Amino acid sequence: MRERPFGAWRAGAAIAAHRARRYLPSGLAWAAGHAMPLFTGLLLKAIFDRVSGDQPAYATGLGLLAVLVAVEAGRGGAIWVGIAVWPAWWQSIGAWIRSGLLESVLCDPGPPVTRLPSTPGEAVGRLRDDVEDLIRFVDIWVDIAGAAVFTAAALVVMARISVPLTAVALLPLAGVLIGTRALSRTIRRSHERMRERGSSVTGLIADLFAGVLALKTAGAEARALARLEAGNAARRHAAVRAQLAVNLMQSFSGASAQVTTGLLLLLAAGAMRQGGFSVGDLALFTSYAATLTNLPRWLGRTLGAHREAGVALGRLARFDADRRPEAVVARRRPVPTGPAPAPGERLRRLEVRGLTARHPGSGAGVFDVDLTVEAGALTVVTGVVGSGKTTLIRALLGLLPAESGSIRWNGAPVADPGAFLVPPRVAYAGQVARLFSATLAENVALGWPAGEADVLAALRAAQLAEDLAEMPAGLATVIGSRGSRLSGGQLQRAAVARALVRVPDLLVLDDVSSALDQATEERLWRALAASGLTCLVASHRPAALERAGRVVVLDRGRVVSDQSLPVASLQAATAVSPSAGSGSRASSTEREVGPANERA
Amino acid sequence: MIPARLRRSPWLLVAAQLGAERWRLLPAGAALLLGTALPLAGPQLVARFVDEAVARAPLEALLALGAAYLAVALAGQVAAVAAAYTAGGAAWRVTNRLRERVAAHAIGLDMAYHGRHTPGEMIERVDGDLLGLTQFISSFVVQGLSSLMLLAGTLVLVWRVDPRLGGALSVVVAAGAVTLAVAQRRVVPHAVVYREETAQMYGAVEERLAGAEEIRANGAGRHVVARFLEAARRVTRAETRWQVRGGAVLAGANLVFALGTAALLAAGILLRQAGAITVGTIVLLFQYAQMVRAPVEQIVGQAKQLHEAGASAARVAGMLGERPEIVWPRSPVPLPAGPVSLRFEDVTFAYAGDPPVLRRVRLELAAGRSLGIVGRTGSGKTTLARLALRLYDPTEGAVRLAGVDLRDVGRDDLTRRVRMVSQDVHLFAASLRDNVTLFDGEVPDEAVEGALASVGLRRWRDALPDGLDTPLGAGGTGLSAGEAQLVALARVFLADPALVVLDEASSRLDPATEEAVRAATERLLAGRTAIVIAHRLATLGGVDDVAVMEAGRVVEHGPRAELTDGRASRFAGLLAAGVP
Repeated sequence: MRERPFGAWRAGAAIAAHRARRYLPSGLAWAAGHAMPLFTGLLLKAIFDRVSGDQPAYATGLGLLAVLVAVEAGRGGAIWVGIAVWPAWWQSIGAWIRSGLLESVLCDPGPPVTRLPSTPGEAVGRLRDDVEDLIRFVDIWVDIAGAAVFTAAALVVMARISVPLTAVALLPLAGVLIGTRALSRTIRRSHERMRERGSSVTGLIADLFAGVLALKTAGAEARALARLEAGNAARRHAAVRAQLAVNLMQSFSGASAQVTTGLLLLLAAGAMRQGGFSVGDLALFTSYAATLTNLPRWLGRTLGAHREAGVALGRLARFDADRRPEAVVARRRPVPTGPAPAPGERLRRLEVRGLTARHPGSGAGVFDVDLTVEAGALTVVTGVVGSGKTTLIRALLGLLPAESGSIRWNGAPVADPGAFLVPPRVAYAGQVARLFSATLAENVALGWPAGEADVLAALRAAQLAEDLAEMPAGLATVIGSRGSRLSGGQLQRAAVARALVRVPDLLVLDDVSSALDQATEERLWRALAASGLTCLVASHRPAALERAGRVVVLDRGRVVSDQSLPVASLQAATAVSPSAGSGSRASSTEREVGPANERA
Repeated sequence: MIPARLRRSPWLLVAAQLGAERWRLLPAGAALLLGTALPLAGPQLVARFVDEAVARAPLEALLALGAAYLAVALAGQVAAVAAAYTAGGAAWRVTNRLRERVAAHAIGLDMAYHGRHTPGEMIERVDGDLLGLTQFISSFVVQGLSSLMLLAGTLVLVWRVDPRLGGALSVVVAAGAVTLAVAQRRVVPHAVVYREETAQMYGAVEERLAGAEEIRANGAGRHVVARFLEAARRVTRAETRWQVRGGAVLAGANLVFALGTAALLAAGILLRQAGAITVGTIVLLFQYAQMVRAPVEQIVGQAKQLHEAGASAARVAGMLGERPEIVWPRSPVPLPAGPVSLRFEDVTFAYAGDPPVLRRVRLELAAGRSLGIVGRTGSGKTTLARLALRLYDPTEGAVRLAGVDLRDVGRDDLTRRVRMVSQDVHLFAASLRDNVTLFDGEVPDEAVEGALASVGLRRWRDALPDGLDTPLGAGGTGLSAGEAQLVALARVFLADPALVVLDEASSRLDPATEEAVRAATERLLAGRTAIVIAHRLATLGGVDDVAVMEAGRVVEHGPRAELTDGRASRFAGLLAAGVP
């Protein structure tokens, strides 16, 4: 049996079902608002028949006008209720889908790098606009339902007056549908192009402001803004074209109501002269003619929205590790915020065998890497710029897809390192400290059930205690955008504190002391070494190398040296007179440690 | 520059931009006029049709009226589409230009502003808000303007039937308009809150996605999702508060116009009873009453958009109202050619509201000399560097370049003569060439290649598949932090400045690369004045002078050689303590 592909309709059904208790009542209010004009038409017929016949009943006509006002008030009320309760549905569905996608990127198996668009700005654009497209599609169903109820009832009323003229009134509606279908492909394509160009503009803006310091100091603001102009112009072309297609579609329905009226005038002329079709009948037909176009119009919009939702679904599916569109609207567990997971078996040995991983986008990577981390030791991965230190760390942690190789934790194979090598087993601080607009305490704990004392202890171990003492708000200090209120060294140590507060079996650090002053760096490594924590570190810093129990040297992605050394011999190898400067000391470390320990 | 008057009201800014589009707007206006006049003719034809049908006029006359109605209706539709197309183009042109201006203004704001606002927030401000304005302008120009014209035409035509009826309809329209205007003022603040909550939510998401790997590897994914859900709930509450009020406006306006239609029909019935008008005229009145209602319903339907656009405009205005504290001089003092000296004269600096980061810093650096600044993290080194670049102005005291107060130096002069390598290098999602030249298309390739060679990136560059056209940054070739640092150094080599500020420039390089950069840096510093902010003493090998900073003060300053030898000097102490 062939399974139907999961498209916009099935996604829409899942969306409607997810919060049916909110969707239905507010939808009902909207639909009622749509159906109310039914009574308006009937009242108009009654009024015009009272004032136009041979025996006019003017007083009754005036009384019916009061009823007309009441009906309109009711319609307004229904729409008000619809509008007022709608955000509760609309926003909660948005939060549900967006949080699910976030959860998929941040929690589910599989490296995030393959799922995120090229810039975070672009990803935000998708989360915002594509999700909205998806929900709008379901939103329209309510309008369709209201319009369908009106249409069915109106046709019954009209047919009881004149079947042939009712048929005439329906003809232009077919035109609306046909025109709509013909245009829908154009609309889809032009919208897709508009969205893409819109995303690239938002990506451009994010890029511009992320690099604002470099632009300002180089006086290059104007030149960088010229890129925005080019992106803007491309987006305008796409947007105007898309808008034209939509306008054409709308004018089909506008013309349809008037064509209906015109046809009625032509075909009812004879009957009206003979009195078989009253002025009231004409009033009812023309009143309904306008509202009748709602159904084909909403149907047309549904087709357009269906296309847009399909495009959006396809793009959103890329957030999922397996790119399944059904994952976009999959039911998810409520997010647990309970105590820390049980530590399980303590680390004795972590073994990596034959690990090969490439950085997506470039061919660079690490090839056939073997690595062993023994409990209690400081293992340092070192090598020149571009030798693959960071790639190795990221592949090990499951942050980059590995092409081959195996990882064993205490001898047991790790099937999914991205899910397994997390706290309380492993904690990580990357090369670029990622801190967020929140308090220092929130940035360090980041959901870990750590009390204030734990956070303080972690900050102290990360050598941030003195800096903290100088912050007026202490732990409640709000770190600005991307942590820009702190210095580079403070950011790095805060990121280390974030990893330390998780009290991991294995601490993985990628070049975290690069922005530290020498004394602070010394103290940090001394504290880490003294803590007895098992550490895997990518670094070429003498302060780290000196304390290493094992040094692995990478060159162009391959291990060229792997040797555990007694700490003392390393210290001897790196002891140079103070005034020589640490640059030459560092290279001498490399030279003396490297070749002496060739594996082959 | 944006004139101050326009900065206060974004609507004036929009109007000024629309004025620039007036030639393109002419055909839109013509189409709009046609699209208004033709629908007004329709009811006249229907009214005559009814009267003649009731009077049993010849069938041919009735058929002619019907055919005329059809023709007028179809022509009106064509005109409406043409108006929408031309106006849509103009709206995009206007808001695109506005977007570029807003972006230019934002980028010109101080680094303090950018520290407070995430790139995600800037997307909302520069793009999200202006998208709202685009939609509003294009629909305002077409639907709003044509609605207004339709209203005016209808009133005139009803007035011609009976001035009393015309007066009554005018009162209805005025009442509706006043209701709307008053209600709007109450709704807009809630729309502002809603947009702010939304911007904050997406700002946070952008940051979190940038740190997706650290979040995953530290098991913080669910926590981040939970925080997102909290923000989403705040957005829901804010939107509900706004929509409840907006919906009330819509319902109220509906009621006002239903009353108006009823009143007009009642008057028509009474006039008919008195024998003053025909049934056809009542039909006409009803249709015009409907035609008053349709455009106003359009406007009320757009009231939502207007509220949103008002909120967007208010926030754009808020951002345009942000003034940079750095003000460039009207008549700048030119910097002399050749090497420049640098002097900090009793410089005190505090970020707004915070205790001072620098206290009475006094430093003198002769032209062509290099100064290394050491001190603990947070001692004020980075701030000192930013003052030399005039990213901030001193709270007290002055920074002088070649004897000229930085506040008197022209912007172009400054950015040409002073360059920096910052702690965190941002690579743009652009080609290698653009990343080195910072989008200066006039720099010849040889110069770019030369700069890359100077930092030891020649071999690396030769290995790139597309050479200088290789895309870097997000979505491009992945660069290690060290390689990124080298590209940033190449930017400075290319710029050939007189004063170089190296803020931990070589901090992330491995020993081999660091050695290459050390040599290149030496070449770069030769003949140039330089400040080297270093957290490791290694980078200080080549500097002439050293200053030691502690808690925002310079506690020691002198030639490097003297400080190294002086046993009592703090620098010598650092050397001794810092090296194991």
